[in-house]
Amino acid sequence: MNRQHDIAQEWFSRNKWQPHKFQEDTWDAITNGYSGLLNAPTGFGKTYAIWFGVLQSYFARKKRSGGLHCLWLTPLRALSKEIHSATQRVSDELGLDYEIALRTGDTPQKERQRQKKKMPHAMITTPESVHLLLAQKGYNETFKNLEFVVVDEWHELLGNKRGVLIELALSRLKAINPKLKIWGISATIGNIEEAKEILLGTEPAKNKLIRARLEKQIEIETLLPDVIEKYPWAGHMGTALLDKILPVIHNSNTTLIFTNVRSQCEIWYKRLLDADPSLAGQIAIHHGSLSEEVRLWVESALHGGLLKAVVCTSSLDLGVDFRPVDTVVQIGSPKGVARFMQRAGRSGHQPGAVSKIYFLPTHSLEIIEGSAMRYAIAHKQIEQRVPYIRSFDALIQFMVTLAISDGFRADELFEEVIKTHCFASITRDEFNWCLAFITKGGKSLGTYDEFHKVVLVDGLYRVISRRVAMRHRLNIGVIVSDSMLQVKYMGGKRLGMVEEGFLSRLSPGDVFWFAGNNLELIRIKDMTAFVRKSNKSKGVFPSWQGGRMPLSSQLTRAIRVKLDEYYRRKAKDIEQLKLIPLFEKQEQVSHLPHVSELLIEKIKTKEGYHVFIYSFEGRNVHEGLSALFAYRIAKDRPGTFSLGFNDYGFELLSDQEIAIEEALEHGLFNTEHLSADIYASVNIAEMARRKFRDIATISGLVLSNYPGKQTKTRHLQANSELFFKVFTDYENDNLLLQEAYDEVMTFQMEQVRLMEALDRMQKQKVVIKELQELSPFCFPIFAERFRERLSNEPFEVRVRKLLDQEGK
Amino acid sequence: MQLLLQGKPFTLLPQKALYHEEGSLLIIADVHLGKANHFRKEGISMPLNAQQGDYLNLKQLIDKISPGKVYFLGDLFHSDYNYDWHHFEALIGSYTGIEFTLIKGNHDFVDVEKFERLGLHIVNDLIEDEDFIYSHQPVTFEHSKLNIAGHIHPGIAISGRANQSARLPCFYLHRDVLLLPAFGTLTGLCIMDRIKTARVFAVLPGEVKQI
Repeated sequence: MNRQHDIAQEWFSRNKWQPHKFQEDTWDAITNGYSGLLNAPTGFGKTYAIWFGVLQSYFARKKRSGGLHCLWLTPLRALSKEIHSATQRVSDELGLDYEIALRTGDTPQKERQRQKKKMPHAMITTPESVHLLLAQKGYNETFKNLEFVVVDEWHELLGNKRGVLIELALSRLKAINPKLKIWGISATIGNIEEAKEILLGTEPAKNKLIRARLEKQIEIETLLPDVIEKYPWAGHMGTALLDKILPVIHNSNTTLIFTNVRSQCEIWYKRLLDADPSLAGQIAIHHGSLSEEVRLWVESALHGGLLKAVVCTSSLDLGVDFRPVDTVVQIGSPKGVARFMQRAGRSGHQPGAVSKIYFLPTHSLEIIEGSAMRYAIAHKQIEQRVPYIRSFDALIQFMVTLAISDGFRADELFEEVIKTHCFASITRDEFNWCLAFITKGGKSLGTYDEFHKVVLVDGLYRVISRRVAMRHRLNIGVIVSDSMLQVKYMGGKRLGMVEEGFLSRLSPGDVFWFAGNNLELIRIKDMTAFVRKSNKSKGVFPSWQGGRMPLSSQLTRAIRVKLDEYYRRKAKDIEQLKLIPLFEKQEQVSHLPHVSELLIEKIKTKEGYHVFIYSFEGRNVHEGLSALFAYRIAKDRPGTFSLGFNDYGFELLSDQEIAIEEALEHGLFNTEHLSADIYASVNIAEMARRKFRDIATISGLVLSNYPGKQTKTRHLQANSELFFKVFTDYENDNLLLQEAYDEVMTFQMEQVRLMEALDRMQKQKVVIKELQELSPFCFPIFAERFRERLSNEPFEVRVRKLLDQEGK
Repeated sequence: MQLLLQGKPFTLLPQKALYHEEGSLLIIADVHLGKANHFRKEGISMPLNAQQGDYLNLKQLIDKISPGKVYFLGDLFHSDYNYDWHHFEALIGSYTGIEFTLIKGNHDFVDVEKFERLGLHIVNDLIEDEDFIYSHQPVTFEHSKLNIAGHIHPGIAISGRANQSARLPCFYLHRDVLLLPAFGTLTGLCIMDRIKTARVFAVLPGEVKQI
């Protein structure tokens, strides 16, 4: 071992541990002044791989200046705490003079003040907190001796706008200290090289990508219904297989049961207790809307091995390892290979142990995904994380953040931000537009305009109004939540947050199920819902908004492979064999397509005329394709369509017969004029309107809601829809509006994937079937309640039709 | 569309206003003038020309109906004095023959003197006559009379076959209260319940239609 690694060496031998090769490689790289990205799975000591590099760099210095030396960023508070205790342990055991502090939204004001006076050596915090530090006067001083920034779980931050927050913060920190070293830690993703480049910016320091070549064995078992014919053809809940899950829980030490959405989590928790009352007190619930208190209690009980099972959502995807967990269950489609592997990895932590995961399909066709998942993992088909680019909302927020503290100069800031991956392609004109947006509220509107936010004083952009500064501080961040009410017992104990829309439909005395309890609503006051426990057996379940994830293209490809295997009589997976009766039924009432065929089904029901198309490309692409096809069909014949879709296919529904054959002849699958056609479809504006909700909040147009604080800003509340409409009507070159459309194209329509899908469809042989009854393929789409609409009929015509229909 | 209220003929106008023929009275609720400017003053970028539509709509409506009296049922201005006042002054100033009255709403903070100099009457709570009570927020204490009010910004969601739906502003008549739709373009909708005892009149482009 290298002499430079004496601190690590001492600590490892003290604990009788042997370092992994990747840990030694990382220490080497860090002590030799490299930046980089470490690709390692959870549970193998990735924290220490970085940490000893940081420590050794610090103690190798001849002159140890005070002040902040290392900033460690994580996406989760729970993870921050974990990192803090792991690193503090080293300082304690070795008696190092290296203070480590935690700073999160919960850090008390007193502690913050203390930190401001004397900064610790290392601070473990979140991206948002760093921006709050950049909003403090004299932040230059705070960061002047900073040597390291470590970004933990970079793969997780990369795929959303919090990644942009990090890029922006790093660009500023690098400008303060050009020798800054940046290290990321990431799980395996399809674009790991790119992940490194994004983190380090367009002018990176010398850097390395270090891969820990450690692989976890994953064993997948699909929980199958005894009689496939009796298992539902549609649904998202999966509780019909409840009796299959109970033995899994009883035969395991501790089981994590992952659900995809919070309402499903609440329902499963209740159903488990109903099915097996002996589990009372031994199982718990964990999701993002529960209060910190509740979640922390569950996490510590998990650590302590006090629980048989926890029903959770992605809230337990990340971070902290719970040693007692030996089994994982995934309820419903995991949607992606990386996510499934990550969840599977939450069990079996001992080196060399196998991670066991059970997959519970919520409807019969979904059974195929168990088999597809096994195939994708074996063939290392792991999703890429698509980074956000040109996020003007985040740039505008960042500009105001800097204007609050010490101000910024336009030329300097422009040079800094174009070195980030996110803003590498913005022009000076676009940058100037953002400046105009914060100083003049967009276009200059003449002498009488009273716009007031950021002002230019001696070449420095600054915020002078204290009110503006205060409001902006509350608005820092890119996670936009719905208007939420706090749920509290009368005694004051906080249970968590529920969407305002849900609670406003309840009256005092109504009973609802939340945080695993049946609660009676007593009253709502100041954004807080007061409740008491109820003995009533029935209660409604809250629903939370939030986009549903589409099936990844890795997984859809694997599904197509698995269907084709069946077609070629090569199916041998247990899931495929189980599905035989269902496939036979599909062949009988319709047709089972093989890989070179595209199946289209037509049926008339009392709802109208339906056309179903199965392209197996995930719900986002299907949403796009359905809108595109409806538009193209309506171009020939004006009409109004209702669109339905799931991960396997999509549906057009109309009150008139749909001339699909005619549309096929007219080039329904053409990729020519694709962008123009997509933009022309009404839907894109609706999607953009929804995307704009977050953009409006991030850029400070719509003020965030805080429990108890909202009344003060009531006269300034306008919803994002109004801004979207007003910008569309009066200022359609607005970059924020453009950003909403770009986000729709990249993330919602998944334009690249959509093109590929159309290309494939052009080459496939189209098989059109007129159905007498609903097929196993179309039924799940038919049963989806979530729908879009598309119409090229004028608004008046459409509304009059609706009113006529209502009259009947 | 024509409607008898308390036996008196009224017209529900698609311009989102109510006309009482007998009194030659035009009733308008929740215009929210100066909202764009108020937002801008607080550092929130709302295009200023977005408000121009409201002035134009007001002018066209008054020209078309040429009423003897106009009641604004509150929230005429969204905030305190700002530059929008000059536009408003010019508009009101051009109708010397019409008697304008503002029943104050929760957003009206404009100086009373300023209004009065323009010849506008200001009423604090409500105007009451034999059959009607005009107010900003709905009041419910006098059951023999019909209360005509604003404040709520009522809207209605309609749905039909093939899962179609739309949201429209509406007039909403329930028991002894008639709610008017908000006149201003920079306003949102409060979607009302479709209860059996309520009569809903949806505002379509160019037409008001009972649902």
